[in-house]
Amino acid sequence: MNEIMNLNPVLLIAVPIGLAMLVPILGLMSSKIVKWVPVVGFLFNSVVSLAVLPRVLNQPIIVKIAGFAPPFGINLVAGPVGMFLAALIAVSGFLVAVYSLDYIHEGAAEKYHILFLLLLSGATGVVLTGDIFNLFVFFEILCISSYALVAYLGNRSGIEAAVKYLIQGAIGSSLLLIGIGLLYGQFGTLNMADLAQNITSFSEPSVFVPMILMVTGLGIEAAIFPLNAWLPDAHSSAPSSISAVLSGIAIEVGLYAVIRVVFTICHVTGSFFVFLVAIAVVTVLIGEMSAFGQKNIKRMLAYSSIGQIGLILFAFSLATEFGVSGGLFQMLSHTLGKVLLFLSAGYMIYRTGSMEISSFEGVGKKMPWTALFFTIGTLSIIGLPPFAGFSSKFLIIKAALAKGDLLYILLMGIVLLGTVIEGTYFFRVVQVIYFKESNNKTEPEGPPVSGLISMSVFAILVVLIGLFPNAILKILTTAASELLNNLEYIRSVLG
Amino acid sequence: MSFLQNYAYYTGAFGLILIGLFIMMTKRNYIKIIIGLSILETGVNLFLIAVGYISGGTAPIFSRSGITAEKMVDPVPQALVLTAIVIGVAVLGMALALAIRLHKHFGTLNLLEIREQRW
Repeated sequence: MNEIMNLNPVLLIAVPIGLAMLVPILGLMSSKIVKWVPVVGFLFNSVVSLAVLPRVLNQPIIVKIAGFAPPFGINLVAGPVGMFLAALIAVSGFLVAVYSLDYIHEGAAEKYHILFLLLLSGATGVVLTGDIFNLFVFFEILCISSYALVAYLGNRSGIEAAVKYLIQGAIGSSLLLIGIGLLYGQFGTLNMADLAQNITSFSEPSVFVPMILMVTGLGIEAAIFPLNAWLPDAHSSAPSSISAVLSGIAIEVGLYAVIRVVFTICHVTGSFFVFLVAIAVVTVLIGEMSAFGQKNIKRMLAYSSIGQIGLILFAFSLATEFGVSGGLFQMLSHTLGKVLLFLSAGYMIYRTGSMEISSFEGVGKKMPWTALFFTIGTLSIIGLPPFAGFSSKFLIIKAALAKGDLLYILLMGIVLLGTVIEGTYFFRVVQVIYFKESNNKTEPEGPPVSGLISMSVFAILVVLIGLFPNAILKILTTAASELLNNLEYIRSVLG
Repeated sequence: MSFLQNYAYYTGAFGLILIGLFIMMTKRNYIKIIIGLSILETGVNLFLIAVGYISGGTAPIFSRSGITAEKMVDPVPQALVLTAIVIGVAVLGMALALAIRLHKHFGTLNLLEIREQRW
């Protein structure tokens, strides 16, 4: 156990990328081994990140690549925020890889596994890196592999969605790169801690313009309104296991990068947060209201992700300790809940052969376990006790009320209205699944064992975290203080 | 005019960036949008190079005598541009591969005619 705890966090990035490069060679030997590669890689990542997590709560681990001390070399910062998100990515990546064992059975399976490994190692790199250009590179690894995975099925809708996603994503990454160039030109450093040390005030035009460029560029990937036009198409056209990863991890990693730029690098205060809160509330309303009218289950879940991202951004922009830890908690519960929903919807779509919600009549009797997992997912996303979503939403409401300002209480009311809309459309699906009799006499069978195992672990995690939220609250508050107090971050990196 | 003379590289770089963005936003043909993307990326790369460039500067090698740090070109942006070019090639390759599939499925590259999914 001690050896695992002392492993270098750089392995969390190096091992999945290395395995991705090994997949074509292994594929030559045997086509059966290939699908086990992501399982092995993310099992390793889960074990390492969960073992290292308690250690970084006391003292962040700074990894100096090639021995150059920051700010001269590229460094990794395995702080509480980074390791928390890396563990979340690793565990959900592992479970989705288990689900994919039987779910992905047609098409170029080898390429699917390569891209899946690259996508999640890119995401891990973004959350762990301490260098802003390095962040851009990992971000591009994530983006390019998700363009390819959206088009994986090669059908009409997939190609159309991937084209839209690629055009918008490419503009976003160019804006991010311009912002990085402007910052480098002024401060002569790419290290995030060094940049944060040099930036005295975010409101000077020379800092504000790059910050806006970077927030806009990253905001496209994070699907913040009005930059989210690509999301519903992309998330509904991909295979379900990929929709789960895109909705549960990719957009949250984008949001993490926005938060890192806003909190740590530029150390924003005051009125800019009011602007972010306003954007967040609009994002919630747009997402939930668009989801309300959908007849296609995957589009509905994709719009619901927009709403959830709005809620997470709302929590972060409160910029208090409760708010930020509530936002991180909401990231956790959204990942678990939304991945569970996409995975269970995946087999419901597969067995009924249609994405229309109305075709799910009677699924509750034919596929009782899948229907149960879907219901647990909906209840958690809506935020009912005793599921994980309740604790996180409760923390966010508490944080908004603790602000004491009438504005925030009003905005919180609008966000809660969004939750009510969310409840309405999710319960409509649950009603169709359980209480409508099907005329269809065919007998759809349940999902295979790998799918059942993966979904049941997600469901158990959702219930356990909902029942014992205090167990992870310590991680969340430590992480929140890392984000809110950037002097601490600078000191831990630069010494 | 002196502004243009002093900041010729920056003017050129941001000019290319704006031209690229303009093409991407106004053109409806997917190939033209990819061309716009390519111009945009070239502009960004030129901008990054311009950040570190010194007129009449040389490579930062300290072994040669008689060269001081003031006359050296910053090598970091050039390393960044090398990486950015590789990433840009990957994105362009992906975009062109999608163009082939797009034409196969829809028989057109005009994005206004491809509107099966909307909000």
